[in-house]
Amino acid sequence: MNGLPNRQVLLLLTFTLCVLGGYWLTLLAVPNLMMRTAMHRLSDGGAAVNRFVFAGPTTPASRRVVRPAPDLAYGSCVYDLAAGPLDVGARVTEGGGYTSLSVFAANSDNIAVLDSMTHPGGIDFVLALPGQAVPADRPVVRSPSARGIILDRRLAPTAADFARADAARRFNLCAPMARTVK
Amino acid sequence: MVVEAVAEPARRPRAWPFALAVLGGTALGIGAALWAIEAGARPTAYQGWEANTLAGSPDADALTRARVARSGLLALDRSQAIYFNRTTDSAGRPLDEGCRYRVGGGPLPARWWSVTVYAADHYLPRNDGAALSFDATEVVPDAAGRWQALVGPAPQPGMAFASTQGAGDFALTLRLYNPDAAAQRDFAGIALPVVERLDCGGERAA
Repeated sequence: MNGLPNRQVLLLLTFTLCVLGGYWLTLLAVPNLMMRTAMHRLSDGGAAVNRFVFAGPTTPASRRVVRPAPDLAYGSCVYDLAAGPLDVGARVTEGGGYTSLSVFAANSDNIAVLDSMTHPGGIDFVLALPGQAVPADRPVVRSPSARGIILDRRLAPTAADFARADAARRFNLCAPMARTVK
Repeated sequence: MVVEAVAEPARRPRAWPFALAVLGGTALGIGAALWAIEAGARPTAYQGWEANTLAGSPDADALTRARVARSGLLALDRSQAIYFNRTTDSAGRPLDEGCRYRVGGGPLPARWWSVTVYAADHYLPRNDGAALSFDATEVVPDAAGRWQALVGPAPQPGMAFASTQGAGDFALTLRLYNPDAAAQRDFAGIALPVVERLDCGGERAA
């Protein structure tokens, strides 16, 4: 049997596999790269990890994340669970209005949202990796990735609303879990 | 005289066709993925507004996840918020910063909603008008719950307003926060606002 056709088939197979591989790896890489960029920006270059950082009112100069909503007050905590679970919490804004904490994994999936409708008395949970020991008496969110972003959104269409939202979010918590669970 | 036949050395297969196949195939795959993310098949359209039922969801396929990451990173899933985007008016013409548009509709099935202008780079347009969006608290519904707002270069007294200054060919994003359960299940059942072009370049419609 002549080896030439086999070589051509092999070439075609190599080409096809590389097209498919390039396609799928790019689709998988884009969300992770976008998240990595956002985590870098929101943590001030990695200096602010496992603590909340609060953005001022959203303006045309707000360029850390695409499509910011000008009617919302944003806060964020870039998390790293490598050293253990985190305590996470937020007071809802006085006088009502939308408040939520949403948790995003490193691939950009929104893995959990807790808001003021379902938690009018305040939001409190433990964020942990699968398998990490957590208290039995606390709500737990399991992140599939060690790193990600917790986003605090609060309705703040006016300056007065923003001031109320800002006062409430200063009590936010995003820190290594206070007590160790064995 | 005896002439001995000299055996030709076996030719080694050339490697460059494989290198070309790897490089060309990979480049084509990456290019196809980037095209699909930026300009491939559009999300489902609902009355001219595009939305993806799996935005932000762990159930999203790889292409949806990449597209949302590119144009709406940190989007909430539909149990919390539904995002509708559009880049054309109700007649299918691209939205233009030099034109005025009447955006109008009825009650929306959510606890709160807003409409925001975004430039083509997915960020807020660089203007100092302090009117980047309008929301449910700014419109004045009539007895039937119908409301309208103006999107254009300059406000009009008595109307909720969002500025298009510096927006170029822009997009509108409608956010429905805490949408009703029925709305979460069926985006097509939501009566979405109409975007009607009034005039362009300062000319008033007859």
